[in-house]
Amino acid sequence: MKNRMRELRAERKWSQGELAEKLGVSRQTINAIETEKYDPSLPLAFKIGLLFKQPLEQIFTPGPA
Amino acid sequence: MTNSNLSDDEAKASNCTSREPVMPSFRLNAWLALTVGTYMAMLFLEKQHPDWSPGLKITLCLVPILPGLIYLRKGLELLRGMDELQRRIQFESWLFAAVGTAVVSAIINVFNSHGIVAHWAPHRLEVGATYLMMFCLWSIGVMISNLRYR
Repeated sequence: MKNRMRELRAERKWSQGELAEKLGVSRQTINAIETEKYDPSLPLAFKIGLLFKQPLEQIFTPGPA
Repeated sequence: MTNSNLSDDEAKASNCTSREPVMPSFRLNAWLALTVGTYMAMLFLEKQHPDWSPGLKITLCLVPILPGLIYLRKGLELLRGMDELQRRIQFESWLFAAVGTAVVSAIINVFNSHGIVAHWAPHRLEVGATYLMMFCLWSIGVMISNLRYR
């Protein structure tokens, strides 16, 4: 699955650590999602959508990870 | 950034609990050490006092169970405190360790049954050796998974 996490985070000038803190996950998780090595669970994906105020389909798009 | 700097939606989405990769804590390892220590002491006392009554021996054998159960509980607490990626890493590592141990045990058994065991190889895996192998494979699994999701 492809995602725009890095781009959205950069727009807000947040570090990976800051984003991790806001989402209640580790920085390693944020990095793994951004590098598309790991697809987040549905609850985490919803949290990400809520945080970036974007519908999920605008953050995550289907495709090979 | 703290919760006060976040909008309502952001605050809702955020638990603001930083979860850095969790490694087994000192306290958890202390419970493991206590379990192993009481187990060794139990074996020693059992050997030294074969004349003790069966009731006393049974009580002695049950002593290591208590720190063992506390270790299990602390381990589960640690697991529940992990985020989803860390849980996946632990799951993959334990699976790797369990399957790896089963495969190595099976290979040793097959070698034994065909009489192809090297003179230095164990003829059967002791319980301690099995646990040690599982721990080593788990450590390798954690390293591989951490590299994969780095």
